[in-house]
Amino acid sequence: MQRIKIDPVTRLEGHGKIDIFVDDEGNVANCYFLVPELRGFEKFAQGRPVEEMPRITTRICGVCPEAHHMAAAKACDEVYDVQIPSTAKKLRELLYSIFFTADHTVHFYALGGPDFVVGPDAPKEMRNLIGVVKTVGLEAGKKVIKLRALAQEMIQTLGGKKIHQVTSLPGGVSKGLKEEERKKFAEYGKYFIEFGLFTLQIFEDIVLKNSTYVDLILSDTYTHKTYYMGMVDDNNKVNFYEGKVRVVDPEGYEFCKYSPGEYTEHISEHIEPWNYLKYPFLKKIGWKGFVDGKDSGIYRATPLSRLNASDGMNTPLAQEAYEKFYDTLTGDRSGSIPVHHTLATHWARVIELMYSAERMNELLNDEEITSDNIRVIPEKTPSEGIGIVEAPRGTLTHHYITDENGIVRQANLIVGTTNNHAAISMSIKKAAQGLIKKGVEITDGLLNKVEMAFRAYDPCFGCATHTLPGQMPIELNIRNLKGEIINSRKRNI
Amino acid sequence: MSKPKVAFFDFASCEGCQLNKLNLENSLLSILELVDIVEFREAMDDRADEYDIAFVEGSISTPTCVERIHDIRRRSKILVALGACAVQGGINALRNSQPAEWVKEVVYGDDKYLFPSIPVQPVSAVVKVDYEVRGCPMSTPEFLHILKSLILGRKPEIFDHAVCVECKSSENECVLETGMFCLGPVTRAGCGAVCPENGQYCSGCRGYVSNINTDGALEMLAENGLSRLEAVKRLRLFCSSELVELDGVK
Ligand code: SF4
Ligand code: SF4
Repeated sequence: MQRIKIDPVTRLEGHGKIDIFVDDEGNVANCYFLVPELRGFEKFAQGRPVEEMPRITTRICGVCPEAHHMAAAKACDEVYDVQIPSTAKKLRELLYSIFFTADHTVHFYALGGPDFVVGPDAPKEMRNLIGVVKTVGLEAGKKVIKLRALAQEMIQTLGGKKIHQVTSLPGGVSKGLKEEERKKFAEYGKYFIEFGLFTLQIFEDIVLKNSTYVDLILSDTYTHKTYYMGMVDDNNKVNFYEGKVRVVDPEGYEFCKYSPGEYTEHISEHIEPWNYLKYPFLKKIGWKGFVDGKDSGIYRATPLSRLNASDGMNTPLAQEAYEKFYDTLTGDRSGSIPVHHTLATHWARVIELMYSAERMNELLNDEEITSDNIRVIPEKTPSEGIGIVEAPRGTLTHHYITDENGIVRQANLIVGTTNNHAAISMSIKKAAQGLIKKGVEITDGLLNKVEMAFRAYDPCFGCATHTLPGQMPIELNIRNLKGEIINSRKRNI
Repeated sequence: MSKPKVAFFDFASCEGCQLNKLNLENSLLSILELVDIVEFREAMDDRADEYDIAFVEGSISTPTCVERIHDIRRRSKILVALGACAVQGGINALRNSQPAEWVKEVVYGDDKYLFPSIPVQPVSAVVKVDYEVRGCPMSTPEFLHILKSLILGRKPEIFDHAVCVECKSSENECVLETGMFCLGPVTRAGCGAVCPENGQYCSGCRGYVSNINTDGALEMLAENGLSRLEAVKRLRLFCSSELVELDGVK
């Protein structure tokens, strides 16, 4: 098979690229998904003070700087072996919950959601936030804008900056929350709950009540049985900020549960010769190629995975939604049978949105949150640390090894989307195989249906911004087995 | 009079600057009525177009970027660089501190020979830049100020004093006194000293005042216990194009 050419890319500059190879009959033989990604960041970290990492790694991505800020700060706590004060932890988690709500909102209303709310076959001018607003009404658009604005205001207060936060540092946070700020934010918090309920309702009215959409979610084209990963607390409830990483097998049984420090025992990274992406897989099962099932080490780390890997949610409204989710899709409301339908990820995302809104309220009504005991000065000799958080797009791991002066000697990052590279490739292939056949014309609607297979993962390569309010820049090439392009579609490139 | 044509272009970036524009919300909406926006993706399809103002973010990192930025410059009356990446090279330029061959190999593997790569540079290293909006991400009030001034045909005000001054005027506790180092005394103001305000040191994301005393800055950092090499690393985190006299300090 032809080696695929990769476009010149730099850090996050570029676009998603899908290469579909078809045989002489016109049927799909293989399929590749390429994302521009610069692994060099790990190398740049070498020789720099580890204390700087929470402020540098944010710049990997302007869409989710909060996730890198948190994972890096947690890894730094470990490097210096400090237990941060409880208030510091709560302030970090508060910032994080607000960020999660806002990030999931943007994805649902502007990126992934439009496929359902407006419909996968709708003309492309409609499949965006504007189309969503036209379908569900202007009020919804205003609500989304309001939520985003409130979230940005709170993130600025808690993180110092709306983008590229600065307040989390080894040993805690650099700034506390004042009582008057807490009061104001608690008011905003009520709106977040209202918004979560509103979004669940939209999902119910527009998607679940439409049997065409439900059939699409349940269709085999968008189904893969894989392992699922997600962070959980001691009771196996979903937690975004701390806990152990739990992996369940395709039948829903616990496969392993590990602390951040043990990740190298469980996760390996496979490199394909035709690509420069990393494909993480479960070490104990091994890399068996791009196949699903129990014998393949491919796992997924997405909102859907987090629900599958957990026994439920820690807050009442999200728990109710969780039960309904499993009741509808597996008939077992306990959630012990995993949901394998990739497109159900959108629903799972809305349930997580509800959870983070509720969690934010809990924290804002916690007396301790305004305490000024927010930092412990690290005193021990720095060595090694691993920080894990759940980022909106999957489990995020930062690992640093330093010398005794805290200078980074080695760094490794497994970024949210990276976990899903193999699964994304499989999902696209399956969708392409189901849709692209001999004699079938490649239409915009068909391209979109292939794209839907990976949009559910919310792959983050800066696409999110290019798509506000437009569409993900993407290039799709259909090639024959010699690698010659026989059909090509580009959008927003 | 017809509305001025305004275009946005991006190069190697984290997209933070673009997102920060969305945070302008209401003020942006009212300004949008006064100009004719050509979005960057569409803009690229329409190569014959000319612009009154081109905003450019991100740094120049490949030969293709060089070609593109020349083309943009040719078609734009005024060119404004947005954010640390475009103004001083930004965090992308950390790449320059690693051997170029190594970076290519890591990123492109066996295909590395297909991808000519050049050192990361700010936009001003390649073409003339008329105005700049500093910050990582770029400062939104400054962006608005420049946009408004240009629409009204006025000359925008440019900051050239230190973050330290802003800090003093908002009566923050001095970071240096808490035992941390801080680049506020030499970093160019305009952010409202947001990091010190939040209990953090200034990491110099806005680049430096034009009359920076480099030796003085190194001495100040030495007093904070930073070795010469550490000090240089800190000073150049966001700034490949400034303090070039420190190039090669090992
Ligand atoms: S200047 Fe900062 S925020 Fe702007 S694109 Fe560069 S890294 Fe991102
Ligand atoms: S205080 Fe310094 S690092 Fe912080 S935003 Fe201002 S210039 Fe940048």
